[in-house]
Amino acid sequence: MLTKIFAGAAIAIALLTITAGYTQRSALVLRAEKQDNYWPRHGTGLSGGYRGGTWILLPNRSSYGGFRGGGPSAGK
Amino acid sequence: MPVTTKTQRTSRFIDPWSYIALGASGLVLLALMGSQFFYKKLVSERVSVEPEASVELESIQLEPRLVGALRIDVRALLPSNTWVIYEIQILDQNGDVIASAMKEAWSESGTWYEDGESGSWSESDLQGGLDVQAKKNEQITVAIAVLEYGNTSGQELEQPVGFKVTVENGVVDTRYLWSGLIGSAILGIIAVIATPISGKTAIAKTIQDSDPSGRATVGGADQLVRVKINVKADETFPRQLTARLVINDAYGEQVYARAMPMHFILGTEDTRRHQLQCFFTLDPRSSYGFHVEVTPDAPVDQTKLTVRDRNHTLVPVEVVHIRPSPLSDLSDHPQDKHP
Repeated sequence: MLTKIFAGAAIAIALLTITAGYTQRSALVLRAEKQDNYWPRHGTGLSGGYRGGTWILLPNRSSYGGFRGGGPSAGK
Repeated sequence: MPVTTKTQRTSRFIDPWSYIALGASGLVLLALMGSQFFYKKLVSERVSVEPEASVELESIQLEPRLVGALRIDVRALLPSNTWVIYEIQILDQNGDVIASAMKEAWSESGTWYEDGESGSWSESDLQGGLDVQAKKNEQITVAIAVLEYGNTSGQELEQPVGFKVTVENGVVDTRYLWSGLIGSAILGIIAVIATPISGKTAIAKTIQDSDPSGRATVGGADQLVRVKINVKADETFPRQLTARLVINDAYGEQVYARAMPMHFILGTEDTRRHQLQCFFTLDPRSSYGFHVEVTPDAPVDQTKLTVRDRNHTLVPVEVVHIRPSPLSDLSDHPQDKHP
């Protein structure tokens, strides 16, 4: 029965997303070398990473990407 | 073959799975509402940060937790036509940076002229955010640093930048829940749509007349057969159409015959659609003939007969149970019955 498959998939999606949301899978984990699950909010990306337990800031991060403001007039 | 016919309203053929699928999205909705009860606001303040400097907030005791994370939300309070690169930093007890995330924020406005019309516009992207979890107990301090500040003309600015900072603990990431709600709701809706068309289509016959018929092997003691009659008629007709449905068994003997009023479902400028659905259990499973006659037939442009075998329903329905009469063997030999 097709509806069984839809119901199974809906339950799987519900359980996975509730688990991911409540355990905050997307958060930065302090002192963890791997941050594979980090999901930026509001375009706020990590500006460094752990190497041997120490946070190393990205070099030249202040001129990162040559950002000079966004918006409709950017790039003109 | 004599048969007994019994009409009964029953919930026996309701498909529970379509409701279970909808229930899954209900569960996500509850989780979404429940997530509002777990967090606790720790800090909400405005800070002012000089370019190439940073400002520390009060220190926070962070513990490993099962539900939620520490959420730092920052909003840059920028004057128009300026931009700032700021960083949310996490410092440990010694004042060393143990995590950082960067946001490029900007605010712009101006006026536009087009075809003699004019107006003003303003756009901005000021909000930044970082969610943090700890693996062990940790005393941390949140700091906001301004890496670069300038205006859209390309000048660097030296004035301090204002920020609105909010820190909450135990925040659940609702982005997962929203996508889960949409995903499971779509599947639930598909399941609900799929239920009335479940099973096998035994007969699907469309004719440009009013009397379609077809024969197929359907039924079984505990199987629902759905008969659907769709009529397309033109507008010049009496309001009420009647469909007469006759079902014959494998020997061509009539086991059911009834005329029923059709339901008007949709009308457009030159066609009006009518529908009639009825439900049967036909015992034993065998070849059955279905004959439809729609009256009056003058306005009928098209009639479609659909018979679905092993069907299910969403709501309780009126089912006509047709099965061989238990006395059928005796009635063939009346002399046995009345010696």
